[in-house]
Parts: sequence; C-alpha cells; structure tokens
Amino acid sequence: MSAAPRFSLQNINKRFGEVNANSNVNLDIYPNEVIALLGENGAGKSTLMKLLYGFYTPDAGEIVVEGEPLVAHSPKQSLRLGIGMLFQQFNLVPALSVLENLLLAFPAAPWWQWRRRRLTTDVLACLQRIAPDIDPQRLVRDLSVGEQQVVELAKIMALNAQLVILDEPTAVLTPQEVERLYQFVAQCRADGKVVVFITHKLADVRACATRIVVMRQGRIVGDWRTETVTDNELIQAMVGKDTGLIVNRIAPPKHLLPKLMVKRLNVSSRVGTITAMDFEVSPGEVLGIAGVMGNGQRALAMVLAGILVPDSGEVILDGVSINALAHETIKVPDNVAYIPESPLTNAVVAQLDLATNLQLRALDALPFLQWGMPALHEAQHKLAAHDVRPSDPHLSAGALSGGNLQKLVIARELSRPVQLVIACYPTMGLDLIATRNVYERLFAQAEQGACIIWFSEELDDLLRYAHRIMVLHGGRVQSIGPVASFDRQRIGRLMTGHAQAC
Amino acid sequence: MDEINYTLAGSWVAASLRSASPLMLVLLGETLTQRVGIVNLGVEGQMLAGACFGFGAAAVFHDPVLGLGVGALAGLVLSLLHGVLCIQLRVNQIASGLCVMMLGTGITSYVGRVFVGAEVSGLAPLAGQFASAQSFWQPLLTQLTWIAPLAVVLTLVAGVLLFRTRTGLHWRTVGESSTVAAALGLRPRLVQWQGLLTGGLLSGLAGAVLSIDYTQTWAQNMTKGLGLIAVGLVIVARWNPFLVLPVALLFGLADTSVLRLQAAAVNTSSYLLAAAPYVFCLGILVVTHLRADRDAHMPAGLKAVFNDR
Ligand SMILES: Nc1ncnc2c1ncn2[C@@H]1O[C@H](COP(=O)(O)OP(=O)(O)O)[C@@H](O)[C@H]1O
Ligand SMILES: [Mg+2]
Repeated sequence: MSAAPRFSLQNINKRFGEVNANSNVNLDIYPNEVIALLGENGAGKSTLMKLLYGFYTPDAGEIVVEGEPLVAHSPKQSLRLGIGMLFQQFNLVPALSVLENLLLAFPAAPWWQWRRRRLTTDVLACLQRIAPDIDPQRLVRDLSVGEQQVVELAKIMALNAQLVILDEPTAVLTPQEVERLYQFVAQCRADGKVVVFITHKLADVRACATRIVVMRQGRIVGDWRTETVTDNELIQAMVGKDTGLIVNRIAPPKHLLPKLMVKRLNVSSRVGTITAMDFEVSPGEVLGIAGVMGNGQRALAMVLAGILVPDSGEVILDGVSINALAHETIKVPDNVAYIPESPLTNAVVAQLDLATNLQLRALDALPFLQWGMPALHEAQHKLAAHDVRPSDPHLSAGALSGGNLQKLVIARELSRPVQLVIACYPTMGLDLIATRNVYERLFAQAEQGACIIWFSEELDDLLRYAHRIMVLHGGRVQSIGPVASFDRQRIGRLMTGHAQAC
Repeated sequence: MDEINYTLAGSWVAASLRSASPLMLVLLGETLTQRVGIVNLGVEGQMLAGACFGFGAAAVFHDPVLGLGVGALAGLVLSLLHGVLCIQLRVNQIASGLCVMMLGTGITSYVGRVFVGAEVSGLAPLAGQFASAQSFWQPLLTQLTWIAPLAVVLTLVAGVLLFRTRTGLHWRTVGESSTVAAALGLRPRLVQWQGLLTGGLLSGLAGAVLSIDYTQTWAQNMTKGLGLIAVGLVIVARWNPFLVLPVALLFGLADTSVLRLQAAAVNTSSYLLAAAPYVFCLGILVVTHLRADRDAHMPAGLKAVFNDR
C-alpha cells in the first residue's frame, strides 16, 4: 500500500454525554480496499462511519479526503465527494415509492418530474442492475427488509459513490440475500470503489474483506490484512479476553410426552397464513424453526403466544388450550415467554422507561400507586444481570440500541420460570458475547422443562443447538425431524420450497 | 322552464364556490403545512389577522387587491411566529399554535374596532353583463369574482408542485421524517419553513377573501372557527391538494344550503341551522375515520407532534 490514502481519519474523538464513542481513532483508507470494520455492539463502529459521512461532527480530529482536510462536513458534501452510506437503520421514506426514494438521492434529478417515463429509465438503470424484480412504483413500506436494502444499495449506485459504507448490512438478510450482497461488494471493488463493511459476523469478513480493522470501546485495537489473521485472533481482539463462545448443547429430552400440541392449525390473517399445521413438542425440547421470512413464522409465533386467534385448530399447552384463552382476552398467558421479532415495535413501549418496560408483563398486578423503589431495585438488578447498556432504569426504551433492546426483552421474558418460550430471531443484531448469553438463558429454560420454539435464520446455530428442526414454506410444514437428518444444504433447499427430495 | 333550472343550478354552484373559496385557501395552506410535518392550529388566528388587516387596508386605500395582499402578509407574519417557536425553539406545536391563534384573536379584536362598519368596494365580478341572460354560466360569471378561479387553480398548482416536482418530493420527505431527510442531505428546517410560510400566506389570504370579497364587512371573530375546521378537514382531504377542492366544496355546499333553507323560511331555529355544516363536517370525519387505511396517507412526521422532544 504505497499509494496515498484516499480517505483519512486523524485523531478522531466523539463523545455522547458520558460515553466515549470514539477516542483517538486513526484510520487511513487506501484505493481499492474492502475494509471489514469489526467490533461488538457499542464499539463505536457506526459512530466512526457517521463521522466520515458527515452525519455527526467530531469533537476533535480531522477528516482528510484526497489530501484535503474537510471543513463543515455534512451529508450533502459527502454526496458531492462520492461517499455513500447504507445506514443500519435504513434511510428510506416508507410512504414514498421506490422511484421517489431513488429520485431523492439522485443528484441529477430534474426539478420538473412530470414525465416520469423517461426519468424512470434514467434513474432505474441502477436499480435494474442489481434488482430487476422490484417494481419502482411500489411503496417502500410494502417491501421486505431485503428488498428495502436493495433499494438503498441502488441509491448508492446512483450516486456513483467512490466510498461505499455498509453498516451491518447482513444483520437482517436471508442467506440468499446475503449472497447477493457479497456480489454487490465484489462488483464495487471491481469498479474501483472502496468499501467499508461494518459487521460482527466473521463469515462476512472472510467472504469480502481485503483488510480487517477491529474496534473495541471506541478505539481501534487491531488492523490486519485478511489472509494474515485467524478467526480466533479476531474474536479475541473484539471481545478483549479469551472467552469460550460456544454454549453447551443441552441433552434432548428423555421422555417424549407432548407438552405443547398444535393441532390442525389454520390461520389466514394480515400477518401471514398457516395451513393445516400439526406438531408436538416435549418438555425440555428445543424446536428450531427455519424458513425464509414471511412464510408464516410471524402468524405461528403470534398464535402460539395467544395473541392471534386462529381460524381453526388448537394450541394446547399443559392440557390448556391457549387459543380458548385468546378468545376471552388477547394476552400472552403468564406461563409463556414471548420474544417477538423487531422488539422496538413489538415488545416494548419506546417512550416508557426501562423499569416500566420490565414490568409490562405484569401490568394488572401493579399497585395503583407507584412508589417505585422496589420495582426500581428489581429493574436495576435485571438490567445489570443482562448487561443492558446503559443500565439506567429511568432511560426510555427508545434510546437503547437494537442489541440492548433485545437484551431488555430477554431480561423481562426469561427471568422467571415458564412452560413455553417463543423466541423469534432472538440474536438478530447481537454481538458474539450477547448471542452466547441469550442462548444460555434460552436453553436454561429448556433444562427446567420448558418447550422452546426458536425461530432463527442462523442455520449453523440451529444445527448446533436445536433438538429437532422444522422448516416452513408457504405457511406449511415443509419438513420436521431430528436435527441429525438435516444439513445446511438440505435446509436451504427446503426453505425455498423444494420438496422432501434427499 | 329548463333554462330557469339551469340558471338555478348555476347560481347554486356559484354560491357554493364563493362560500367555499376562503375554506379552500386555508385548507390548502394547512395541507401544505402538515405535509412538511407541522400542525398549525394558529391558522384560525392567521385568518382573522388576514381578514382584519386586509379589510383595513382595502377600506383605507380603497383598493381591494392591495387589501388581499396585506391580508396574506398578515397571515405570513403570524406563521413566522409559529415557526420561530416550533421550528427554531422546538416548542410543542400544539401549544405554539394555540398561542398564535389567541394572539390573532386578541389583536384583531383590538385593532378591528375601528373597521367595524367601514365599507370596501369589493372585487368586480368576472363579467358584468352577460349576453344570453338565462344559462348555466350566467350566474357563475356574474356572481363570482376572480377569487374562486384563483383558489381552484392554486389547489391544482399545489398538487402538481407536491407530487411532480423535486421541491414537492423534498417537502413530503421532510414531512415523513426529518432524520431521514437530514441523512439524505436535505435541510429539514429550511423545508419546514417553506411549507409553513406558504401555509401562512394562504391562510392570511383566505381571511382577506372572507372579509373583502365574501362578506365585505369586518366583524369580530368573523371566521367562526373556519381555520380550525380546516385543520380537521385536512384529514378528510387526506393531505392531498387535489382533494382540497371537493372537500371544501362539500362544506361550502352544506353552508349555502343552510342559507337557502333559511331564505326559504324553514321553520327551524337559525342557530341550529348554522350548526349544520359543522355536524356535517363531523359526519365526514367519522366516515373517513372508519375506513380501514385511514392512517395510510398521514405524513409520519406528524406523529412526532405528540412526542415531546
Ligand atoms: N446518538 C447517540 N446518542 C447517544 N449515545 C450514542 C449515540 N450514538 C451512539 N451512542 C453510543 O455510542 C457508543 C457507540 O455506538 P455505535 O457507534 O452505534 O456502536 P456500534 O455501531 O459499534 O455498535 C454506544 O455506547 C452508544 O450507546
Ligand atoms: Mg452500529
């Protein structure tokens, strides 16, 4: 790397209140690199890149582009300089169409946009190149997460960005979409662009990166060329100590007497459909459910949790029909722990503080007058035990990052003994240590005799920890059986609807 | 016989358009303001200011067009205050809007005393004499001034601006989310100012139209809640300038019907009849609210109005 750096971050410092998000960070970015920026949740990766993009202003330090220090940096200037960023939380306007979202970021978009047809061809050339199957007139809010990301990528392509920053792009994608993303990165590199790829998945790093930079607690703690470093070294650098990341797989249940029974379940609702579903789960059994998102997972989880009434069929837990209860009050039964997907919208009240959010499952049992102290102590205890950061019980839930929010929900749902745990993508967006902690708590419930229904897109984890695996496709059980009868390829085929074949 | 019916229909339409024009303007203004994510309850006060100062200027200088201009500026100035409070200082929009409303009511009650009983010349009708006396168009041309066509054209222009230009795209983006807009390199506050001030101009103009063109008098609190009605009707018009015309016309129709009924000496209390358009308005609101996708058109940024931040 003899060439001069194209982008250079020099002595960057950034504080948020008490938190040192970045301290004395130096990073030079050279032509034609794909840098993987690794680090645990809260390591300061997003902050560093948002500084480079101009979304935040550094407290101290300089950003130098092609030898020129930037003054009064802003996203607008970034667009001019050819810096494009895919934010962790997307920057799309859900109420606008795909085309309108592209036009927003298209520098040459004309003021007069009456003649849509000609414009369409201009602007959509970029979209066409990576995703010809997305209809530009559709509203973004009707797209799946993966499709939304593709629109974001098309925006970056339209900018003809020279530096492409991707903030945890694979956290929310299906395996197929991940492949498509890897191709996108390879394409960028072939076009001579520089890519910074923020992630905490080692698989991403190995697939794309030429150089690996590891951050921990706001500092850069390691910088290697990809071939010169082992996975173990990376994990150690990220975590900061030598910890085992593998949880012990708990033994499968000895007695196969069904505790949870799902009988001839049919659901057709706004959140998805389920057709003629039948299965049983024994006490202490971990049933892993795989499937491309949107194939009935959401409806199944909600029916099991007792908050969606099925059209027909029954869910019986310990001899009690969950959906009979659901007809009376729509409420998750007390002996069920429910960890829904997208915790921010489905599991917490963003405006309420952490202590209150921790009590949400027992609202009717709360005293009329809230004197706070006992609840506060309990909340503090739970927050500390689950390593929710920051652990201030007065903070509102909306202020937590995705990973910490997930920990909060798990603290609420799994810190009491239950009979059934429904966990929907419980480790999505979590780093290595947090993932390990979630698995430990999840499987501890199984050891106490609870049934675990575990939806996941981490096929490797499913294969490693589940006792049985069920693959969903189009709202039906595509296949169910002991974990030994599955492997990655087979699950992948079943997920996309190929029948039982080998 | 037929000709008389046509004339009758024509005069009914003309009266509706005439009575709906102020509402159309203020509704359009509030629609544009809410599209950039700002609720302005102050429109009531802005309309009153427009009506009062516009009328005053028209009476003093004997120039109705000047009066309309002054009225529009009065609305603009009050919306400027709303903007300083809620865009720059981040005061809660509801509080700030109420404050502007009260200010407008108070000032116009005080200043307006001198204009009570004054006379303005009003605007000339589109055509003084019309060749074929009895036709559908005759009442339209003789009873309407250029205000009604202007209001109609403005709604169409605003619709095109909002949905077919980059400016409009920016407005809608800011209305959905300031954060996203900022990340895209827009300047949300600047855009919000544009939307708010446009709304201010239109509401001031609406007030001036009311006092100079429609009633040709000034009376204390003469808007009688029309500005607040507009805030409610924005929901019915689904934040869409193209729907402003039909919605305002419906309301205008209800309003004129009441006048006609009164004229026809229907044996009901005039106070009850005067309340009819508002009952009608409530009815529409309930009906639109019952539809399944009622929230689908609402700019998402408006939800932040109730989160204090
Ligand atoms: N806008 C913000 N306000 C307050 N604290 C923030 C903000 N953004 C990030 N932080 C804090 O800064 C630290 C680094 O965050 P971030 O850069 O998002 O980490 P990463 O992307 O590596 O997970 C975290 O402790 C986070 O809580
Ligand atoms: Mg991040």
